[in-house]
Amino acid sequence: MRLRRQTRTSPAISLVSMIDVLLIMLVFFMVTSTFLNLRMLPMARTAEATAAGRPAPTDTPILIRIDAEGVLHLQGRAFAGDGLTGALREMLDQAPERTVLVFPSGHAQTQALVDAIDRIAASGATRLRVIRVEGGS
Amino acid sequence: MKLARPPERAQPETIVALIDVVLFLLIFFMLVGRMDATAPFELEPAISRNGAELPGGGRTVSVGADGAVALDGARIERAALFDQLAQALTDDPDLWVRINADRRAELRNVLPLVTDIETLGARDVVLVVTPAGAP
Repeated sequence: MRLRRQTRTSPAISLVSMIDVLLIMLVFFMVTSTFLNLRMLPMARTAEATAAGRPAPTDTPILIRIDAEGVLHLQGRAFAGDGLTGALREMLDQAPERTVLVFPSGHAQTQALVDAIDRIAASGATRLRVIRVEGGS
Repeated sequence: MKLARPPERAQPETIVALIDVVLFLLIFFMLVGRMDATAPFELEPAISRNGAELPGGGRTVSVGADGAVALDGARIERAALFDQLAQALTDDPDLWVRINADRRAELRNVLPLVTDIETLGARDVVLVVTPAGAP
């Protein structure tokens, strides 16, 4: 009985090191990645983009003041929460193209300004300008 | 001559499937993730119910609650910030500038920055916000 020696198979390339590399890279991306859900509010746009096709406003602008505590004031009245939206909507119903000017206090927080922009946008205003503070209050 | 049958060896676990899984996960994270500089200080953007899609690219100016400023993840003084932005805008006039201000940052530290960056020639300056309801 003649036994044939099994042909020695060449050793396969070890894949364990490759898995190590891939795993380390995976852990790296998992640890360093932070999933952020961010959006943007335009603060400045090119003059061409904003003025194209829009007639110049002629009505008296609506002035809204943001005090240092973030309270919104319109025509001398303070508004909390979403109360400003209703008041603005009434004013804009008569003249939708009126510009809304926002005068924020320098000590007001950024969140207060963003809240004001949200409420003004909810009222249907299409023209909004923030009068910027040049340092100080 | 009695030959003993060699004991059956269990088949080695195939690790090819594991490589596939790891590779797909890796590709997923590489595609989904976007490399973006984070601020060198704690920063929570303002929450807004509005807001447009935030494009990638551009330069990010971070403003902390205490007024500290950083450009693309590195703390910087305002004078140096404007120098670097001016140079960047010279190289790319259509450069996006993103203001990533902490929600508690006072507007006297944020709004003049917007004006100054506009003065440098930036055409698109945006404020980064977190959508309301986002985790």
